[in-house]
Amino acid sequence: MIVIIVVVVLIVSAFAIGITELNSQKKTSSTTTSQTKNSLTVEEGLPPDSLDPAVTYTTPGWEVMNQVYQGLVAPNGTSMTSFVGVLAYNWSISSNGMNYTFYLRHNVTFSNGDQFTAYDIWFSVYRTIIMDQAPSWIMSQNLAPGNGVNFNITASILNDINYTDPNSTDLNYMEYPNQSIQVVNPYELIMHLGYGYNGNVPYNAFLMTLTTPMAAAVDPRVVEAHGGVQAGTPNSWMESNAIGTGFYEIFSYTPSQGVTLTENPTYWAKYVPQSQWNYAIQPPYLKTIIILYKSLSSRISDLKSGNAQIIEAPVQDYNSLKGIPNVNVSLLPIQFGSSQDAYFVYMDPYAFSPFQNIDVRKAVTFAINYQGIISTVFDGYAKQWIGPVPPGFPDYNQSIAGLSFYPYNATMAAEYLAQAGYRATLPNGTVLNPSGNKFPSVNFLYTSDSTSETETAQIIQSNLAAIGINIVLTPLTMTSYTSEVFSNATNSTQYPMGINFYTEDYSASIDYVDALADGDYVGTSAYFNESVFNATVNASATFNNSAIIQNFSFITQTMYNQYVMPWLYVPYFLSITQSDVTGIIPNPAGSGAGYFMFYNTVHYT
Amino acid sequence: MEGRKELVYYIARRIASSILVILGTIIIIFLISHVLSKNPAALWAGPKARSSTIAYVIQRYHLNAPLYTQLWYFISNFFTGNLGLDPVTGKSISSEILYYFPNTLELVLAALLIIIVLGLGLGYIAAINFSSKKDALIRILYTAAWASPTFLVSTLAILIFSSYIPIFPSGGMYSPYILPPHRVTGMFVLDSLISSNINDFLNGMYHLILPALTLAFLNFGIVTRISRNGILGVKWLPYVKVARAKGLDEKHVSRNHILRNGLIESNTVIAVMFGWLITGTVVVEEIFSWPGIGRFAYSAISSDDYPVLIFVVITFTVFVIAANLIADIMYAVLDPRIRLSGEK
Repeated sequence: MIVIIVVVVLIVSAFAIGITELNSQKKTSSTTTSQTKNSLTVEEGLPPDSLDPAVTYTTPGWEVMNQVYQGLVAPNGTSMTSFVGVLAYNWSISSNGMNYTFYLRHNVTFSNGDQFTAYDIWFSVYRTIIMDQAPSWIMSQNLAPGNGVNFNITASILNDINYTDPNSTDLNYMEYPNQSIQVVNPYELIMHLGYGYNGNVPYNAFLMTLTTPMAAAVDPRVVEAHGGVQAGTPNSWMESNAIGTGFYEIFSYTPSQGVTLTENPTYWAKYVPQSQWNYAIQPPYLKTIIILYKSLSSRISDLKSGNAQIIEAPVQDYNSLKGIPNVNVSLLPIQFGSSQDAYFVYMDPYAFSPFQNIDVRKAVTFAINYQGIISTVFDGYAKQWIGPVPPGFPDYNQSIAGLSFYPYNATMAAEYLAQAGYRATLPNGTVLNPSGNKFPSVNFLYTSDSTSETETAQIIQSNLAAIGINIVLTPLTMTSYTSEVFSNATNSTQYPMGINFYTEDYSASIDYVDALADGDYVGTSAYFNESVFNATVNASATFNNSAIIQNFSFITQTMYNQYVMPWLYVPYFLSITQSDVTGIIPNPAGSGAGYFMFYNTVHYT
Repeated sequence: MEGRKELVYYIARRIASSILVILGTIIIIFLISHVLSKNPAALWAGPKARSSTIAYVIQRYHLNAPLYTQLWYFISNFFTGNLGLDPVTGKSISSEILYYFPNTLELVLAALLIIIVLGLGLGYIAAINFSSKKDALIRILYTAAWASPTFLVSTLAILIFSSYIPIFPSGGMYSPYILPPHRVTGMFVLDSLISSNINDFLNGMYHLILPALTLAFLNFGIVTRISRNGILGVKWLPYVKVARAKGLDEKHVSRNHILRNGLIESNTVIAVMFGWLITGTVVVEEIFSWPGIGRFAYSAISSDDYPVLIFVVITFTVFVIAANLIADIMYAVLDPRIRLSGEK
């Protein structure tokens, strides 16, 4: 009986506490508006994978990194091709595109007070490459710790150098000219391309790769104090702690619950004349950013109650969210939203011989009801596309010039199937080539973890069955699916056809083109053709925009005419904020709520 | 004396068989994760893994060694707590499990407390008022609660108590402006008390109530049903009638003769439920953003984090087996007939 009384009392008092707290919150918001207006609560679905800029490879991880750490440059607002200086105030590119000289700002400090110099960038980028975690390839394309002849930076060398007051041996390492990153003096460094796995060629998206957390300045003194650098191994302290030069610092981090960022009180740009500020370095308007990782129902509930100012939600919720008072919900232009996935159907001609016949591939391509899928699965909030350059990205329109989206034409599809020697059925029921063989049944891969992929697969199955192609839906869980399609595995005879997608690693058209058109990324599904491969290399190595467009057009046209990848759709991304939130600058590289980079510009009207 | 000896023997036998079950489970999980996958290293390393990561996974889990050698390493690593590094976060898996598990324990213990009070209380009321409107109402309530889908109840709880009548937070273990206290038990509420931080304690309680109530609501039905049936089973037995006939007052009869014997089964169900709740928190934790082991498991599934999933599943299994063991022991202690009749 006593236990019952105690528990009831506890429950009742907890209710009372809840109500009291609620009331006190209400009181705060009504009486001290300025205090409330100094913080912003953002709610998203998934927590960060890591807080180490050399390790994190997810949107939520990059979101935190972009507020705490800074790199040399950042995208210029919404642009994907121009940049503004962050830790570098200026830079120059050699005429052959192989050497990038960066001139660094003076008086930049980490949030712990340590002075920032070129030595820190030297340390940070080599650290990323030597740790060799999942995203390190972004740097390794063009940079490497060794020059292949007489110079090689190792983890122990990184750990032994005194970055505050380097001696001559230390400087011999850092100032050596024939290496990827050469320190000229504490405020100038040169990045020499050509040592990475891309080979001795320039890379026109190099500056964009430097906007990723992989190239952010990490304080070597902090790393050394917490275990140093180990080749091929993450640093456990860095996984959940972060000290950078950015406008925010981490107040608290509760894994799977949230991150609270507070303004870096010693933020260096406060002491920079306002005339020198750009959007990527200006001190933040808001003192506190709270990022919470919640279920969709909680996010929507908090948006309605005003407890969250920005939330992330799938585009399928657009219509229902639009009805919430005092909330702005809008469809972002198609290129924004770093979680943007560009979907296509793959057909592997090496794993399933009928796909070697272009008429079969045409039959499949014309049999799919693209607009039907978009309106059924996404309520119309997705865009049909022609790849491999995604819509909205630089040169997309020029790449697809003269091409139309693949049409849905069941009659044409049936005719091509009959032409390929198979029995086919017209929409009116007429059987073409009745003496031909029935098209052999083929497994169709997609992930059952995605409702949109599941619905799309069902529609495609019905579309193909209508002309006489029977596909067997073979969904896999995301784990098994990714191990099938996102590896460099040999061709899969079990899954020669299916749905695949690509999400950017950094915001450059060439990232998509490399992945989808040079065949070394998705073993089962990427396209491979020698001349297309050469065009991808040429497109990435030139700074001549006409040449880039020419190569992209060639790649797009060739893939289009080969009908190996019926391009499906790119879903729109939602911006969902309370109506008094302003200052958000979207960028495809952005990870804040999935579509912007920096919280320093965000404030209230 | 003889009875105590039998009890010790019974407990030893149950512990031994539980260890065998745990070993069997580990072997099954090992086989599923190592044999049924074409390329476990690629699968565990996750999508877009670098070849160096795959090489690390092969080396770390001895995937090039014969299967029996892999099994030996797997079992010995498990029992020595050397679970390796999480390929997604780079942290040690054992430290991650040790971080998340107490958070789940906090939620489960709070829910269990509510279940005991609500389940036993309503079961008693229903049994005492057998065949009355009260009894019918309670039976409808617990059947409905038991039959309700977890995701629906959790979502509705948030919708009602965080949105329409906003008296509870929609998720989280404590407010984001709080710096958590030094971890002693790992349970936020308890650690706040230990560090004498009443504000944090109240904040933790405030966040704990709604998910705990939800979890309790979903699970109290079985305790109510078992306790109601247990009490009804003894309510009309001859020894109860004798007690009444002796002139004992009804309170004394209820407490000493009906409840003590009628709640034996409920006690064991509660012990089993402890394990059940630990494994059943995945959906509740995900919806209430509770940073427990269920949410950790969900996140591991989302990020294809196989090494973590393997050990989370084993952790769940060990706790279910341990809970069953406790239930068996409790039953044997409370009802000597069990240990006398062997494995009955």
